[in-house]
Amino acid sequence: MSWQDWASGVLLLLGCGFYLAGTLGMLRFPDALSRLHALTKTDNLGLMLVCAALAVRAESLRIATLLGVVWLLGITASTVSAHLIARYARRSKEAEP
Amino acid sequence: MTLALDILLALGLLWLGWQVVSGRALFRSIVMLIVLGLLMAVVWSRLGAPDLALAEAAVGAAVTGAMLLLAYRRIIELRPERAHQSLLRRSRLAAPLALLCGALVMGLGFELLKLSSPADSAGAAALAAMQQSELSNPVTGVLLLFRGYDTLLEMGVLLAAWLGVKMVQPAERQELPVSRTPLPTYLTDALLAVVIPGVVLVAGYLLHAGGSAPGGAFQAGAVLAGAGVLLALTGRLRPTPEPSQLQRIALALGVVTFAAIASVGPLFGKPVMWLPEGWALYVIEGAMTISIALCLLLLFISAGGVQRREP
Amino acid sequence: MNHSGFVYLAASSALFGMGVYGVLVSAHPLRKLLSLNLLAAAVFLMLISVGRRGADAPDPVPQAMVLTGIVVAVSATGFALSLLLALYRATGGADLDLDEGVVDDS
Repeated sequence: MSWQDWASGVLLLLGCGFYLAGTLGMLRFPDALSRLHALTKTDNLGLMLVCAALAVRAESLRIATLLGVVWLLGITASTVSAHLIARYARRSKEAEP
Repeated sequence: MTLALDILLALGLLWLGWQVVSGRALFRSIVMLIVLGLLMAVVWSRLGAPDLALAEAAVGAAVTGAMLLLAYRRIIELRPERAHQSLLRRSRLAAPLALLCGALVMGLGFELLKLSSPADSAGAAALAAMQQSELSNPVTGVLLLFRGYDTLLEMGVLLAAWLGVKMVQPAERQELPVSRTPLPTYLTDALLAVVIPGVVLVAGYLLHAGGSAPGGAFQAGAVLAGAGVLLALTGRLRPTPEPSQLQRIALALGVVTFAAIASVGPLFGKPVMWLPEGWALYVIEGAMTISIALCLLLLFISAGGVQRREP
Repeated sequence: MNHSGFVYLAASSALFGMGVYGVLVSAHPLRKLLSLNLLAAAVFLMLISVGRRGADAPDPVPQAMVLTGIVVAVSATGFALSLLLALYRATGGADLDLDEGVVDDS
């Protein structure tokens, strides 16, 4: 096994750990805001680690860069959607306490 | 190892399917169906069908899911007291009938699997004919060159669905529930500023790549429709009962272009659905992309037309 | 390869059965629509997994047919949702069989 395999394996395992933690948090936490807290942080890190693991193994620089773009898009979308969900949750909580 | 992955995916599909049909809450069922669509996209790529994976993720999961969620919200707004009504009815025949149907399908499928595949199947013939063609993506080739009627009629189906939606739309339209209480936020502006050009770029790439790699008019159209859905949900577009002139042209563009180019065959001594190679294919695909995107968007907001909302 | 075809074929027939069950037991038309979508997914999965037998390269013809099918399914879903909403607006309820008395409209 080359160092790339080792590095990507470790990164993949770490990323899967983050996904597992995020999923557990989303299922177990009591309200919308703490669920979002679990989801966004761990998803972003998990996605970054998985993308990094795949980028280490990528055949060319182009594919590695594309994986980076994938991560950026994912992080943008999840930021905005988490923001919107949190706002909605807060407003509906204010409306009916 | 790969078999274990297949079994895991199949079990996931079954669990999600059961959640869709057995859950008590309608909202949960809808979400489960969306997740099932995403998992189907993974299954398609496992089965060596990346074109389907793209289409399923964009059309099957995203556009259908958005439609279902919006319809759910409208239903809740129309009759809030019905939101938690019982969803299941008792039926003594349902389970045996379902088991019978499943067993029938499984039996038929296994008989089919036992059949040896003939050497000169349509797919093999298409792949062989594709060697001489400019298109190296066999799925796009089959859609345009060998099953052109299917593709043409499919555009007709989309148009018919739009006509149906236009006919049953309400006389006095309420606004989309989402945009009735617009939430002005700098973040959605920033997101749109980044995502809309990106989406247009991706759609263009998919359209261009469709000749040689996974992609094509349907995938590109669905991605463009996704951008439209995003604009509608953030209150940039609003439904109108009638399409504008430009929208009428855009809606008909796919069918008209395809039919026009497909009918030049006899001039060159070829059959009717014969398509000239090269730029003509891109013209057809481009026209179809525009029509598909607009049709899907109008189906989503269930209106005859769409208009920019004045700020 | 053969084994995975087997697995997905079994999954698609089970999904088909679930879809039939869902159509039969759902009281809410939106739920029936979800079940119909499930049925469509089962049929697509079956077409592809059967179309894949034997051949080394995946057969493009079933793929093209399923691609067509996906788009037709989404158009049908969109139209059905519009009809459903029109029914809701017209009658205030959305039960196709009122004689069953699942929901008494008052």
